Amino acid sequence: MSWWSRIRNVIRPESHLDEIREELDFHLEMEQMSGFDAREARLRLGNTTRIEEEVREMRIAAWLESVFQDVRYGLRQLRKSPALSLAIVLSLAIGLGANTAIFALVDGALLKPLPVDDPDRLVMLEWSSVGRYAPVGRVGGSPRIVEGGRMQLPTFSEAVYRAFAARQSAFASVIGFSSRTSMALSDGTGVTEVGVQYVSANFFTGLGISPILGRSFLEEEDRRGQEPAVILSHRYWTGRLGGDRDVVGRSIRVNNAPARIVGIAPPGFFGLVIGEWVDAYAPLSARSAFEPALAARPPTGGENADWWVRQAARLKPGVAASAAAVQAAGLFRGLAAETTGTELDARLNLLAEPGRRGFGSVATGDREARALWILMLLVGTLLLIICANVANLLLSRSVVQQRESAVRLALGATRSRLFRQHLIGSAILAVVGGSAGLGLGYALAQALHAMFQTGRDAGNAFDLQPDLRMLAYATVLSVVTALVFGLAPALRAARADLNDRLRAHARAVIGDRMRLPRLLVSTQLALTFTAVVAAGLLSRSLENLNSVGLGFDARNLAYATINPYQAGYAPGQVGPYLDRLKQNLEAVPGVLDVAVLDARPLQGGGRGTWVSTPEGPQIRLEDGRPNPAAEVNLSSGSADLLQTLGVRILAGRALEPSDGPKAAVAVVDQRFAGRYFGGRNPVGEHFAMFGQSMEVIGLAANARFLDLREETTPTVYLPYDPTRFLPGVIHFAIRAAIGAEQLAAEVRRVAASLDPAVPVTEVHTQTVLIDRTLRTERLLAFVAGGFGLVALVLAAIGLGGLLAYAVARRTNEIGVRMALGAARADVIRMILRDSMGMVGFGLLIGMPAAYGIARFLEASLFELEPVDPFSAMSALAVLLAVALTAAWLPARRAAGINPVAALREE
Amino acid sequence: MPKPDNLQGALEILVLKVLHRGPNHGYAIAVSIQQISDEVLRVEAGSLYPALHRMMEAGLLKSAWRKSDVGRRARFYELTRKGRRKLEADEKKWHTVSAAVAKVLSAGSV
Repeated sequence: MSWWSRIRNVIRPESHLDEIREELDFHLEMEQMSGFDAREARLRLGNTTRIEEEVREMRIAAWLESVFQDVRYGLRQLRKSPALSLAIVLSLAIGLGANTAIFALVDGALLKPLPVDDPDRLVMLEWSSVGRYAPVGRVGGSPRIVEGGRMQLPTFSEAVYRAFAARQSAFASVIGFSSRTSMALSDGTGVTEVGVQYVSANFFTGLGISPILGRSFLEEEDRRGQEPAVILSHRYWTGRLGGDRDVVGRSIRVNNAPARIVGIAPPGFFGLVIGEWVDAYAPLSARSAFEPALAARPPTGGENADWWVRQAARLKPGVAASAAAVQAAGLFRGLAAETTGTELDARLNLLAEPGRRGFGSVATGDREARALWILMLLVGTLLLIICANVANLLLSRSVVQQRESAVRLALGATRSRLFRQHLIGSAILAVVGGSAGLGLGYALAQALHAMFQTGRDAGNAFDLQPDLRMLAYATVLSVVTALVFGLAPALRAARADLNDRLRAHARAVIGDRMRLPRLLVSTQLALTFTAVVAAGLLSRSLENLNSVGLGFDARNLAYATINPYQAGYAPGQVGPYLDRLKQNLEAVPGVLDVAVLDARPLQGGGRGTWVSTPEGPQIRLEDGRPNPAAEVNLSSGSADLLQTLGVRILAGRALEPSDGPKAAVAVVDQRFAGRYFGGRNPVGEHFAMFGQSMEVIGLAANARFLDLREETTPTVYLPYDPTRFLPGVIHFAIRAAIGAEQLAAEVRRVAASLDPAVPVTEVHTQTVLIDRTLRTERLLAFVAGGFGLVALVLAAIGLGGLLAYAVARRTNEIGVRMALGAARADVIRMILRDSMGMVGFGLLIGMPAAYGIARFLEASLFELEPVDPFSAMSALAVLLAVALTAAWLPARRAAGINPVAALREE
Repeated sequence: MPKPDNLQGALEILVLKVLHRGPNHGYAIAVSIQQISDEVLRVEAGSLYPALHRMMEAGLLKSAWRKSDVGRRARFYELTRKGRRKLEADEKKWHTVSAAVAKVLSAGSV
């Protein structure tokens, strides 16, 4: 019976059963033909089902037993050469572990659906308008410009959400929730900064999530004027509250307002945005209690012009998302007009976007996603290198085993059995290596994840818990790997020339039988070359990014972040508080300069606004949309900001404390002067901003504030005015001559002594902020470098091992050569030439492969051409050096062969 | 009526012997054994088919689906080289043993 049909018997027993049935039917028919009537024939045949069963079970059992035999045989082989087995298992563990780790990252960040019930039927509701929709005064989330120049937005007003959820019939259910907001949570053990989300009462039930402790929200809890109920994440509960089961009913304080814990979310539920963790959920109505400063400042148009609630909906069975959205669009239009007291706008539209992958992940932009796929490619290459290496190790063993194979063949073993035995042996290696790799992969995934999240708060995390998806991936990959590296050795074991193998003194001559191992080593060298080129390109790109001229002094510069609004400060009280804290910070020994600012340089974003001058670009495009080319970066800070950062003033003067927070004066940078004043000295010129005329009092040198990679956006510096913007975080820039750790402790102490209700939520150095914006590049360079190194070591082992083996096989031949007058140098040259031949062939394949990978990396490289002669040449040099080193030992051994002894051995 | 299944290993040697004359299907094997033994040995399907498949697993037989003389598709069994060797060995053994048994029995009461 063939291998395939055996497997089929186990996997698809019914087809096998059909055959047995047909056989028995035939028997029955023959009995009838020879004169028995049908009943009698059936009686004579006996219980056919029993026969079928017996035959089938017997055959499956026999197959399984022979497989077990092979497994035992495989294990025995492993024990026979423990060092070899260990080397193979270790390298497989590294390869499979690295792949599992990157898969965990890719899956967590890019593939895995939301941890909710039936994520495929979840949609997020958004709306679009032509140009700006005037009745909306404030939106949470940023508008996207979609096809036809329409603006698409994800948020609704609370009133629209409540009426829509109650009246709609197009969806099975609609839930409402806010974006995650950072808040100070005090649980009696201290104050921590956590991500909080306001949600509708049906949030958990609608998503099919049941709290593991306590209960979901009740409808009556989503009303104002009562102590808000709170559900905490499992992560917070175990991490901060020690998993105490008595926490339900306990009081906590959120932004200094009292709240009560009613439940704990199940483990692994992080919210609706992949990459972000929400640690506390509160009803929508809790917003006025937790953020009174926000509620006290409604936008123009009142509360119903404040559109901050996102909506998710569950589709009815069999209803398409687009159809449901069309059905509900009329209701939405009506409610938008009704709640804002405006005319019905027929151009408003409702859309239902797929919600399977969560709601607007900010954690993985295109750059991060591309980086993760690059990593996937790199670890895949590494695994191929390892496969080539392992295949060669197994081949060298199978040569040793040739006599045994021959004996077994002579004793009647079939070739297919030998083939199977070797493949099963490979599978055992892969499974053991894969299991070790799973553990290794989990640890590696955690480490890479920590690296990926450098300098970001704990609220940014992907779900990397090992799950069935990870296990399935590791298993499938192990099996595929076993096939890849095991096929060649197994085929070789099965394809045997009996007589040849039984000859004890079968000796190799040049080129004999070594073609496959040579090809494998060449392939390995080619892939290694590719990996080293990739590592070189990525690290050079990172180097370029690190040496970009910033325009300010990033050394000894740190930022402390606070949010007094969370402690209940009104915007009018914030100014005096900041002044006091600034003075206290300046008094700390070692602190040189302190300034207040609203957005830190290179923190990964800033505040944009539009300004206009007669010479500059138009603020609005012809279709009414804001002109992206007219946007400027707005940095507002205390008068000493530029001095603290070390930005040079080129003309005019810096802001002075005497200018006051509301003065209509500004400092602009060179790019600003270039765009709005034709490049001439702008001091004394005017521009329009926030509907008022501003006077330029100084010209500052360009600095990279928004993006390290390119800076094209002009910057305007304004005096800091706490009442100008919505309540939010405020930073202190501190230049100090003391270490970052010590500074952080001092800053926290000073702030706590001024007002313990306002915690310092972050202290980051500028270097950490820069590292944070370079996290994907650093991750790529680090991983590529590490993999390149592993690949080089493996290549050295592969090449060196093969040459050593070849020398051992050719001892006799080399002896003859030396006896005939070859010098030691000739022998060394012969072995080195042999190794360079493999390197050359490897480069022949490796060059185009490296070119391919360089093109693939192109978009991730900074100020570097993909065809970078320096990277290519250094990769070549490194590979040659490694190859020569690896070849040196076997060459020396060959040269040391004593011709007399070698010939006598024959 | 004695059944060969009661004799340990007897069914196997009978099947091998019948197939020694050439490939055949299960029903024909059963009929042949019955006819050659002058209706003394009767093989039941319930013993025959499991035995055939067991022997196939052991590598003594191989099988293929072929058209039978009545036109219907049937599974034909055939000896392998291993099966042939096994038949030779078993036949020799069987003769020795049966001769010995006959000797003991014919010795009568001692």
